[in-house]
Amino acid sequence: MQNILKVRYWLILSLMPALLIYTVIVIVPIFWSSYYGFFSWTGTTDPKFIGLENYIEVIKDPIFWRALKNNLIIVAASVFGQVPVALFLALMLRKISLFQRFVRSAVFLPMVISTVVVGLIWGYIYNPQFGIVNSFLEWIGLESWTKSWLSDPSVNMYAVSVPIIWNYIGPYLIIFIAAMQNIPSEIEEAAKIDGANGLKKLIYVTLPMMWTTIKVAIVLCISGSLKAFDQVFVMTGGGPAQSTELLATYMYNNTFVVYRYGFGSAISTMIIIISLILIVVSQVVMKKRNKKGGKE
Amino acid sequence: MKKCIVFIILFIMMILAACGNDDSTNANQNNNGEENTDSSTVTIWHNFAGDDLRAKTVRDLIEKFDEENEDIQVEAEAIPVDGYRQRISTVAAAQELPDVFFTYAGSFTERFYEGDLIQPITSLINENTEWADSFLPTALEAYQYGENEDIFSAPVGMSSTSYLFYNKSLFDKYQLEVPKTWDDFLDVINTLNEQEVTPLALGNKAPWVAQSTTFGAIADRVTGTEWFMDAVAQEDASFTDPVFIEALEYFKQLVDAGAYPEGANSMDNTQAEQYFLQENAAMMINGSWTISSFGSTVSEDQLNNIGVTVIPSIPEGEGKANTITGGPGGGFVLNSNAEGEVKDAALDLIYALSNDEAQKAIAESDSMVMYDVEIDQDKVSTLYYEAFELVRSVEFAPVYDLHLSSGAGEAINNGLQEIMLDGDVEAVANKLQQAQENAQNEE
Repeated sequence: MQNILKVRYWLILSLMPALLIYTVIVIVPIFWSSYYGFFSWTGTTDPKFIGLENYIEVIKDPIFWRALKNNLIIVAASVFGQVPVALFLALMLRKISLFQRFVRSAVFLPMVISTVVVGLIWGYIYNPQFGIVNSFLEWIGLESWTKSWLSDPSVNMYAVSVPIIWNYIGPYLIIFIAAMQNIPSEIEEAAKIDGANGLKKLIYVTLPMMWTTIKVAIVLCISGSLKAFDQVFVMTGGGPAQSTELLATYMYNNTFVVYRYGFGSAISTMIIIISLILIVVSQVVMKKRNKKGGKE
Repeated sequence: MKKCIVFIILFIMMILAACGNDDSTNANQNNNGEENTDSSTVTIWHNFAGDDLRAKTVRDLIEKFDEENEDIQVEAEAIPVDGYRQRISTVAAAQELPDVFFTYAGSFTERFYEGDLIQPITSLINENTEWADSFLPTALEAYQYGENEDIFSAPVGMSSTSYLFYNKSLFDKYQLEVPKTWDDFLDVINTLNEQEVTPLALGNKAPWVAQSTTFGAIADRVTGTEWFMDAVAQEDASFTDPVFIEALEYFKQLVDAGAYPEGANSMDNTQAEQYFLQENAAMMINGSWTISSFGSTVSEDQLNNIGVTVIPSIPEGEGKANTITGGPGGGFVLNSNAEGEVKDAALDLIYALSNDEAQKAIAESDSMVMYDVEIDQDKVSTLYYEAFELVRSVEFAPVYDLHLSSGAGEAINNGLQEIMLDGDVEAVANKLQQAQENAQNEE
């Protein structure tokens, strides 16, 4: 008993510094910022208390909803782009060990490049005059498919999603490879003896064993995509005419370009609320699935 | 058990002590800072961070001042232009502005005046009347605020944002005349389109470009300056007035005529300049900053192949024909917290950066000033000299985003992009009106 208590104290004690720092630099500012959301503040004159006006304006602003929709496009692109591709690659790499190192580093490489560089590179790739996307399309005779990828509002949201997917496949690949290597060999052998191989083994053994990891990856993916900012900011800056505005660029533009610090704070509070809702929803959905799986 | 509790308490105390220490060191630093400022340390922030001639010139001027005044220590921080407004606004919100900082004329400076963050430099003006008189008309007035008509800054540059640059050899090749009127302009655009040459290069990824370089000048020709100033003040004029809709329609005509390259909204200004220099486009409407960047990228011959003129007139419009949008450029302002010796030192520094000598040095670095200087024609490029002569022969029209509130500026910038994407002209006007109205009400 003594011992357990002691361990607990030590746990609390060793968690304390990190927790304190986290509280001071993350939790406190969140509440602070939502408090600023109640003010009309240009940064130079004294803040004026205006109650819920900023929050109401955020909710009423069509651009906010457009930004949210765009963010959801990024979330969808990431969840259905990054995770499956990373999973597929991880499965392939286990089979073909010859290329494993090469492919692993190749896929991980974009992660190492600064996101600003990624944005610039893809900005050039999409360039309507000399970008390779259009040049390639022309070369294979699909001239009618060429577009100004980043300035045509009907495609530019999808165009900016591609670099984001490309950018972040690497870490998920590594996570999945690690998860796969953690599947005990006894289970695999048992599965083999029971006659499960190929697709069957994948569906009934490998994937269920990795499910927790996949879940974590999806949560990471959702929260990561809601924070999406840098690549899009570099490629389009939220434009043209706010057609690629994301929640974060919308917040940035209102705070630092239009100098409405109170309004910007209100937007960031809304971002937090929306992120929490999405994470909770995704958790609930996946938990249900888990239970179903358990019953079977 | 007891030991543990003691340990935890000790630990918490340690952390608290550490935090406390932190505060006190900060306080110490502040004190030190103040002490230092008593012995005259002046902090200055500016956006002359680049490698262009003008930036180097201004940095040299600051360094020279630091060296020549041994009792004054200058702590300069150069911040790249793109992030400058944001940085300054953020430190302004945190009440941590430097003693002297660079600002832009118009609503950007007005915010500091309204927030009581800057103080007048009237003493400089009074002590150096000859210097003050050498500024071009409206130069100092741009920084005049309040009932006493105090002057808060002396501009070190001129902003002139709407020159029409054209490629002489392309114009010769297709036997085109430099357009004088709007109809000529549209004819030239049509001919160039038939020849599959892009008429106008434009890099409107950062959405201020179309507004600052093109739309402001067109709108001024259509509405006249007075109407615009009334609309800014929201007195007897509104951006939903038919005359402003008409101005937007003129811009739409350019878009509809196919004047701009595909993807102009995802090209940045530098890419557009390259596009023009590589003869993919025959014309480009851009500000005086383009001249120095042309100068640093192409040869003398290529530079001589570029002609410069004003945007064509619109005979049906209410405004004057021969104007260039622009006016007094940025200048250095004095923090309202500066007192005593620091204030004196800061004033000296401001003077050293905007006096006769400084203005001449800046002018000879291929950039325009609002000051009566004779420049040595050999020291500057021909294109610059032509533009310099041109700007002296025309009148200034207001640059939209320098006068509009920041929110309204954002609204018109995005609105022009919308028009380029086939958006509704009246909706754009409504949004702009809404934003300017809100800003005026907040004041």
